[in-house]
Amino acid sequence: MLSSLNQTPFLHGVITIGSFTILMIGLIGVLTKRNLFKIFLSFAIIETSLFLYFIGMHFEIGKTAPIVSSEVKRFSLNMTDPIPQAMILTTIVIGIAVLSLGLSFIINYFKLTNNMRVDEMNELGEGK
Amino acid sequence: MRKFTIRSIFISLIVSIMIVLLLQIFLQFDLVTSSAGSFVLNINEKSTESANAVTSVVTYFRGFDTLGEVTILFLSIFGIGLGLDGYRDKFNIFAYENTLLKIAVDTLFPLIILFGVYIIIHGHLSPGGGFQGGVIIASAFLLMFLAKSNDFSLKHNILELAESLSGAGFILLGLLSILIVNRFLGNFLPLGKVGELFSGGVIPLIYIFVGIKVSAEITSLVEYFIRIKDVK
Repeated sequence: MLSSLNQTPFLHGVITIGSFTILMIGLIGVLTKRNLFKIFLSFAIIETSLFLYFIGMHFEIGKTAPIVSSEVKRFSLNMTDPIPQAMILTTIVIGIAVLSLGLSFIINYFKLTNNMRVDEMNELGEGK
Repeated sequence: MRKFTIRSIFISLIVSIMIVLLLQIFLQFDLVTSSAGSFVLNINEKSTESANAVTSVVTYFRGFDTLGEVTILFLSIFGIGLGLDGYRDKFNIFAYENTLLKIAVDTLFPLIILFGVYIIIHGHLSPGGGFQGGVIIASAFLLMFLAKSNDFSLKHNILELAESLSGAGFILLGLLSILIVNRFLGNFLPLGKVGELFSGGVIPLIYIFVGIKVSAEITSLVEYFIRIKDVK
Protein backbone atom coordinates (compact mmCIF):
# COMPACT_ATOMS: atom_id res chain seq x y z
CA MET A 1 0.00 0.00 0.00
CA LEU A 2 2.86 2.31 0.80
CA SER A 3 4.41 1.72 -2.63
CA SER A 4 1.47 3.50 -4.25
CA LEU A 5 2.53 6.63 -2.37
CA ASN A 6 6.08 6.33 -3.75
CA GLN A 7 5.05 7.39 -7.24
CA THR A 8 5.84 10.52 -9.22
CA PRO A 9 2.24 11.91 -9.56
CA PHE A 10 1.63 11.65 -5.82
CA LEU A 11 4.97 13.37 -5.11
CA HIS A 12 4.11 16.16 -7.54
CA GLY A 13 0.74 16.63 -5.86
CA VAL A 14 2.39 16.93 -2.44
CA ILE A 15 4.95 19.43 -3.79
CA THR A 16 2.25 21.50 -5.52
CA ILE A 17 0.03 21.70 -2.43
CA GLY A 18 2.99 22.44 -0.14
CA SER A 19 4.50 25.18 -2.28
CA PHE A 20 1.09 26.82 -2.79
CA THR A 21 0.58 26.76 0.99
CA ILE A 22 3.88 28.63 1.37
CA LEU A 23 2.75 31.05 -1.35
CA MET A 24 -0.50 31.61 0.61
CA ILE A 25 1.44 32.32 3.83
CA GLY A 26 3.62 34.85 2.02
CA LEU A 27 0.70 36.59 0.29
CA ILE A 28 -1.24 36.92 3.55
CA GLY A 29 1.89 38.38 5.16
CA VAL A 30 2.33 40.92 2.36
CA LEU A 31 -1.31 42.02 2.47
CA THR A 32 -1.96 42.14 6.23
CA LYS A 33 1.31 43.24 7.84
CA ARG A 34 2.06 46.96 8.25
CA ASN A 35 5.77 46.79 9.09
CA LEU A 36 8.02 47.31 6.05
CA PHE A 37 10.54 44.68 7.19
CA LYS A 38 7.82 42.05 7.56
CA ILE A 39 6.46 42.87 4.09
CA PHE A 40 9.87 42.37 2.48
CA LEU A 41 10.50 39.12 4.37
CA SER A 42 7.08 37.92 3.15
CA PHE A 43 8.29 38.55 -0.40
CA ALA A 44 11.29 36.31 0.42
CA ILE A 45 8.85 33.57 1.57
CA ILE A 46 6.96 33.85 -1.74
CA GLU A 47 10.25 33.41 -3.61
CA THR A 48 10.96 30.26 -1.59
CA SER A 49 7.66 28.75 -2.70
CA LEU A 50 8.63 29.43 -6.33
CA PHE A 51 12.00 27.65 -5.89
CA LEU A 52 10.34 24.64 -4.26
CA TYR A 53 7.71 24.32 -6.98
CA PHE A 54 10.16 24.73 -9.86
CA ILE A 55 12.75 22.25 -8.56
CA GLY A 56 10.24 19.72 -7.22
CA MET A 57 8.12 19.49 -10.37
CA HIS A 58 11.19 18.51 -12.40
CA PHE A 59 12.07 15.61 -10.14
CA GLU A 60 10.90 12.10 -10.96
CA ILE A 61 11.28 9.06 -8.73
CA GLY A 62 14.10 6.78 -9.92
CA LYS A 63 16.14 9.49 -11.59
CA THR A 64 19.56 10.52 -10.28
CA ALA A 65 21.19 13.93 -9.91
CA PRO A 66 22.84 15.19 -13.14
CA ILE A 67 26.34 14.48 -11.82
CA VAL A 68 28.73 11.73 -12.89
CA SER A 69 30.16 9.97 -9.83
CA SER A 70 31.60 6.58 -8.90
CA GLU A 71 28.12 4.96 -9.02
CA VAL A 72 26.77 6.72 -12.12
CA LYS A 73 29.39 6.38 -14.83
CA ARG A 74 27.81 8.10 -17.84
CA PHE A 75 25.44 10.94 -18.70
CA SER A 76 22.10 9.51 -19.74
CA LEU A 77 18.41 10.40 -19.89
CA ASN A 78 18.00 8.67 -16.51
CA MET A 79 19.11 11.93 -14.85
CA THR A 80 16.97 14.87 -13.80
CA ASP A 81 16.79 17.96 -15.98
CA PRO A 82 19.81 20.23 -15.22
CA ILE A 83 18.36 23.42 -16.75
CA PRO A 84 15.70 24.21 -14.07
CA GLN A 85 18.34 23.80 -11.36
CA ALA A 86 20.70 26.22 -13.12
CA MET A 87 17.80 28.68 -13.58
CA ILE A 88 16.89 28.50 -9.89
CA LEU A 89 20.57 29.08 -8.96
CA THR A 90 20.39 32.33 -10.95
CA THR A 91 17.06 33.23 -9.35
CA ILE A 92 18.33 32.68 -5.80
CA VAL A 93 21.30 35.02 -6.34
CA ILE A 94 19.15 37.74 -7.91
CA GLY A 95 16.59 37.31 -5.11
CA ILE A 96 19.29 37.88 -2.47
CA ALA A 97 20.55 40.98 -4.32
CA VAL A 98 17.10 42.56 -4.65
CA LEU A 99 16.06 41.70 -1.07
CA SER A 100 19.24 43.18 0.44
CA LEU A 101 18.87 46.36 -1.65
CA GLY A 102 15.26 46.72 -0.48
CA LEU A 103 16.22 46.20 3.17
CA SER A 104 18.91 48.90 2.89
CA PHE A 105 16.28 51.29 1.47
CA ILE A 106 14.07 50.53 4.49
CA ILE A 107 16.96 51.29 6.89
CA ASN A 108 17.61 54.62 5.16
CA TYR A 109 13.89 55.49 5.21
CA PHE A 110 13.72 54.74 8.93
CA LYS A 111 16.78 56.91 9.61
CA LEU A 112 15.22 59.82 7.69
CA THR A 113 11.62 59.70 8.92
CA ASN A 114 11.69 57.56 12.12
CA ASN A 115 8.75 55.60 10.76
CA MET A 116 8.54 52.01 9.53
CA ARG A 117 4.79 51.49 9.11
CA VAL A 118 3.11 51.50 5.73
CA ASP A 119 -0.14 53.14 6.86
CA GLU A 120 1.68 56.12 8.39
CA MET A 121 3.76 56.98 5.30
CA ASN A 122 2.79 60.47 4.10
CA GLU A 123 5.79 61.74 2.13
CA LEU A 124 3.78 62.49 -1.02
CA GLY A 125 1.04 64.24 0.99
CA GLU A 126 -1.91 62.10 -0.04
CA GLY A 127 -3.21 61.47 3.51
CA LYS A 128 -4.51 64.91 4.49
CA MET B 1 -3.15 38.32 23.32
CA ARG B 2 -2.75 39.25 19.68
CA LYS B 3 -5.60 41.02 18.02
CA PHE B 4 -6.82 39.89 14.62
CA THR B 5 -8.65 42.64 12.78
CA ILE B 6 -11.63 41.98 10.50
CA ARG B 7 -9.59 43.23 7.55
CA SER B 8 -6.79 40.68 8.01
CA ILE B 9 -9.25 37.80 8.44
CA PHE B 10 -11.05 38.90 5.26
CA ILE B 11 -7.78 39.12 3.28
CA SER B 12 -6.70 35.68 4.51
CA LEU B 13 -10.00 34.17 3.39
CA ILE B 14 -9.79 35.76 -0.06
CA VAL B 15 -6.17 34.59 -0.54
CA SER B 16 -7.00 31.04 0.58
CA ILE B 17 -9.93 30.80 -1.85
CA MET B 18 -7.69 32.09 -4.64
CA ILE B 19 -4.96 29.54 -3.86
CA VAL B 20 -7.47 26.66 -3.78
CA LEU B 21 -8.85 27.74 -7.17
CA LEU B 22 -5.30 27.95 -8.57
CA LEU B 23 -4.47 24.49 -7.21
CA GLN B 24 -7.26 22.93 -9.27
CA ILE B 25 -5.45 24.18 -12.39
CA PHE B 26 -1.92 23.39 -11.29
CA LEU B 27 -2.63 19.84 -10.05
CA GLN B 28 -3.55 18.78 -13.60
CA PHE B 29 -0.08 19.49 -15.07
CA ASP B 30 1.77 16.57 -16.61
CA LEU B 31 5.47 15.92 -17.09
CA VAL B 32 7.19 16.98 -20.29
CA THR B 33 9.46 14.10 -21.25
CA SER B 34 11.67 15.69 -23.93
CA SER B 35 13.07 19.10 -23.12
CA ALA B 36 16.19 21.20 -23.56
CA GLY B 37 17.66 19.37 -20.58
CA SER B 38 17.79 16.02 -22.41
CA PHE B 39 19.62 17.72 -25.28
CA VAL B 40 22.12 19.21 -22.83
CA LEU B 41 22.65 15.83 -21.17
CA ASN B 42 23.32 14.27 -24.58
CA ILE B 43 25.98 16.75 -25.72
CA ASN B 44 27.51 17.51 -22.30
CA GLU B 45 30.12 14.76 -22.33
CA LYS B 46 31.48 15.66 -25.76
CA SER B 47 31.47 19.44 -25.43
CA THR B 48 32.57 20.18 -21.85
CA GLU B 49 33.80 16.96 -20.08
CA SER B 50 32.49 18.42 -16.80
CA ALA B 51 31.12 15.85 -14.35
CA ASN B 52 28.39 18.20 -13.07
CA ALA B 53 25.82 19.05 -15.76
CA VAL B 54 24.35 21.96 -13.74
CA THR B 55 27.78 23.62 -13.63
CA SER B 56 28.24 23.26 -17.37
CA VAL B 57 24.81 24.83 -17.96
CA VAL B 58 25.59 27.75 -15.62
CA THR B 59 29.12 28.54 -16.83
CA TYR B 60 29.32 27.21 -20.39
CA PHE B 61 25.92 27.03 -22.14
CA ARG B 62 24.60 30.10 -20.30
CA GLY B 63 27.90 31.77 -19.37
CA PHE B 64 26.86 35.19 -20.63
CA ASP B 65 23.80 35.04 -18.38
CA THR B 66 26.03 34.29 -15.37
CA LEU B 67 28.04 37.42 -16.21
CA GLY B 68 24.80 39.43 -16.07
CA GLU B 69 23.86 37.78 -12.76
CA VAL B 70 27.20 38.69 -11.18
CA THR B 71 26.75 42.25 -12.49
CA ILE B 72 23.31 42.49 -10.83
CA LEU B 73 24.83 41.33 -7.53
CA PHE B 74 27.63 43.91 -7.87
CA LEU B 75 25.20 46.74 -8.66
CA SER B 76 22.96 45.96 -5.69
CA ILE B 77 25.92 45.86 -3.27
CA PHE B 78 27.11 49.15 -4.81
CA GLY B 79 23.70 50.73 -4.15
CA ILE B 80 23.69 49.48 -0.56
CA GLY B 81 27.18 50.98 -0.06
CA LEU B 82 25.96 54.34 -1.38
CA GLY B 83 22.99 54.32 0.98
CA LEU B 84 24.53 52.99 4.20
CA ASP B 85 27.65 55.11 4.04
CA GLY B 86 30.19 55.75 6.81
CA TYR B 87 30.62 52.21 8.13
CA ARG B 88 33.96 53.13 9.70
CA ASP B 89 32.49 55.20 12.56
CA LYS B 90 29.64 52.80 13.34
CA PHE B 91 29.26 50.11 15.99
CA ASN B 92 28.48 46.46 15.57
CA ILE B 93 24.87 45.83 16.64
CA PHE B 94 25.67 42.30 17.87
CA ALA B 95 28.16 43.53 20.46
CA TYR B 96 28.02 41.01 23.31
CA GLU B 97 30.62 39.06 25.24
CA ASN B 98 30.86 35.30 24.79
CA THR B 99 34.12 33.62 25.83
CA LEU B 100 33.35 30.25 24.27
CA LEU B 101 32.67 31.78 20.86
CA LYS B 102 35.77 33.97 21.09
CA ILE B 103 38.05 30.97 21.74
CA ALA B 104 36.37 28.66 19.22
CA VAL B 105 36.39 31.13 16.34
CA ASP B 106 40.18 31.08 16.03
CA THR B 107 40.02 27.36 15.25
CA LEU B 108 36.87 27.46 13.14
CA PHE B 109 37.70 30.43 10.90
CA PRO B 110 40.48 28.82 8.77
CA LEU B 111 38.53 25.56 8.55
CA ILE B 112 35.42 27.28 7.16
CA ILE B 113 37.55 29.25 4.67
CA LEU B 114 39.21 25.98 3.58
CA PHE B 115 35.80 24.31 3.15
CA GLY B 116 34.59 27.22 1.00
CA VAL B 117 37.69 27.04 -1.21
CA TYR B 118 37.15 23.28 -1.59
CA ILE B 119 33.52 23.81 -2.66
CA ILE B 120 34.60 26.45 -5.21
CA ILE B 121 37.44 24.39 -6.74
CA HIS B 122 35.38 21.19 -6.99
CA GLY B 123 32.40 22.95 -8.57
CA HIS B 124 32.65 20.94 -11.79
CA LEU B 125 32.97 17.58 -10.03
CA SER B 126 30.44 17.63 -7.20
CA PRO B 127 27.44 19.70 -6.03
CA GLY B 128 28.58 23.22 -5.31
CA GLY B 129 30.43 25.93 -7.17
CA GLY B 130 31.33 29.58 -7.08
CA PHE B 131 28.13 31.00 -5.61
CA GLN B 132 27.76 28.39 -2.87
CA GLY B 133 31.44 28.45 -1.87
CA GLY B 134 31.47 32.24 -1.86
CA VAL B 135 28.56 32.34 0.56
CA ILE B 136 30.34 29.80 2.82
CA ILE B 137 33.46 32.03 2.93
CA ALA B 138 31.26 35.03 3.77
CA SER B 139 29.69 33.02 6.62
CA ALA B 140 33.19 32.60 8.14
CA PHE B 141 33.52 36.40 8.22
CA LEU B 142 30.02 36.68 9.75
CA LEU B 143 31.21 34.35 12.55
CA MET B 144 34.22 36.64 13.10
CA PHE B 145 31.92 39.68 13.33
CA LEU B 146 29.72 37.90 15.88
CA ALA B 147 32.64 36.75 18.03
CA LYS B 148 34.95 39.80 18.05
CA SER B 149 32.33 42.49 17.97
CA ASN B 150 34.22 45.77 17.47
CA ASP B 151 37.83 44.56 17.38
CA PHE B 152 37.49 42.98 13.95
CA SER B 153 37.22 45.11 10.84
CA LEU B 154 37.83 44.31 7.20
CA LYS B 155 40.56 45.77 5.04
CA HIS B 156 38.41 47.35 2.38
CA ASN B 157 41.12 48.05 -0.18
CA ILE B 158 41.96 44.31 -0.35
CA LEU B 159 38.23 43.46 -0.70
CA GLU B 160 37.75 45.97 -3.51
CA LEU B 161 40.92 44.76 -5.25
CA ALA B 162 39.76 41.12 -5.14
CA GLU B 163 36.29 42.06 -6.36
CA SER B 164 37.42 44.19 -9.29
CA LEU B 165 40.26 41.86 -10.35
CA SER B 166 37.97 38.80 -10.42
CA GLY B 167 35.29 40.68 -12.39
CA ALA B 168 37.90 41.89 -14.87
CA GLY B 169 39.32 38.36 -15.08
CA PHE B 170 35.89 36.96 -15.99
CA ILE B 171 35.48 39.48 -18.83
CA LEU B 172 39.08 39.05 -20.03
CA LEU B 173 38.57 35.28 -20.21
CA GLY B 174 35.52 35.88 -22.40
CA LEU B 175 37.37 38.32 -24.68
CA LEU B 176 40.34 35.93 -24.98
CA SER B 177 38.02 33.15 -26.10
CA ILE B 178 36.49 35.48 -28.73
CA LEU B 179 40.00 35.88 -30.17
CA ILE B 180 40.82 32.16 -30.07
CA VAL B 181 37.60 30.19 -30.70
CA ASN B 182 35.25 32.91 -31.97
CA ARG B 183 32.68 32.56 -29.17
CA PHE B 184 32.25 34.60 -25.97
CA LEU B 185 33.21 32.38 -22.99
CA GLY B 186 33.94 29.48 -25.32
CA ASN B 187 36.42 26.78 -24.43
CA PHE B 188 40.04 27.16 -25.57
CA LEU B 189 41.82 24.93 -23.03
CA PRO B 190 42.36 21.14 -23.24
CA LEU B 191 39.29 19.30 -21.96
CA GLY B 192 40.81 16.44 -19.95
CA LYS B 193 38.78 13.47 -18.72
CA VAL B 194 35.51 13.39 -16.79
CA GLY B 195 36.02 13.23 -13.01
CA GLU B 196 39.53 14.65 -12.79
CA LEU B 197 40.32 17.94 -11.07
CA PHE B 198 41.98 19.42 -14.17
CA SER B 199 39.12 18.87 -16.58
CA GLY B 200 36.33 20.87 -18.16
CA GLY B 201 38.46 23.49 -19.94
CA VAL B 202 37.56 27.02 -18.81
CA ILE B 203 34.72 25.98 -16.45
CA PRO B 204 36.85 25.77 -13.24
CA LEU B 205 38.54 29.09 -14.09
CA ILE B 206 35.18 30.85 -14.54
CA TYR B 207 33.84 29.39 -11.29
CA ILE B 208 37.00 30.43 -9.37
CA PHE B 209 36.54 34.03 -10.59
CA VAL B 210 32.84 33.91 -9.66
CA GLY B 211 33.72 32.48 -6.24
CA ILE B 212 36.21 35.24 -5.40
CA LYS B 213 33.78 37.91 -6.55
CA VAL B 214 30.75 36.54 -4.69
CA SER B 215 32.71 35.98 -1.45
CA ALA B 216 34.07 39.56 -1.51
CA GLU B 217 30.63 41.03 -2.24
CA ILE B 218 28.68 39.04 0.35
CA THR B 219 31.38 39.78 2.97
CA SER B 220 31.07 43.53 2.41
CA LEU B 221 27.26 43.15 2.46
CA VAL B 222 27.52 41.47 5.90
CA GLU B 223 29.67 44.33 7.17
CA TYR B 224 27.27 46.98 5.87
CA PHE B 225 24.32 45.38 7.66
CA ILE B 226 26.06 44.43 10.90
CA ARG B 227 27.92 47.70 11.51
CA ILE B 228 24.94 50.01 11.60
CA LYS B 229 24.66 51.58 15.08
CA ASP B 230 25.75 55.21 15.30
CA VAL B 231 28.48 56.17 17.76
CA LYS B 232 27.12 58.56 20.36
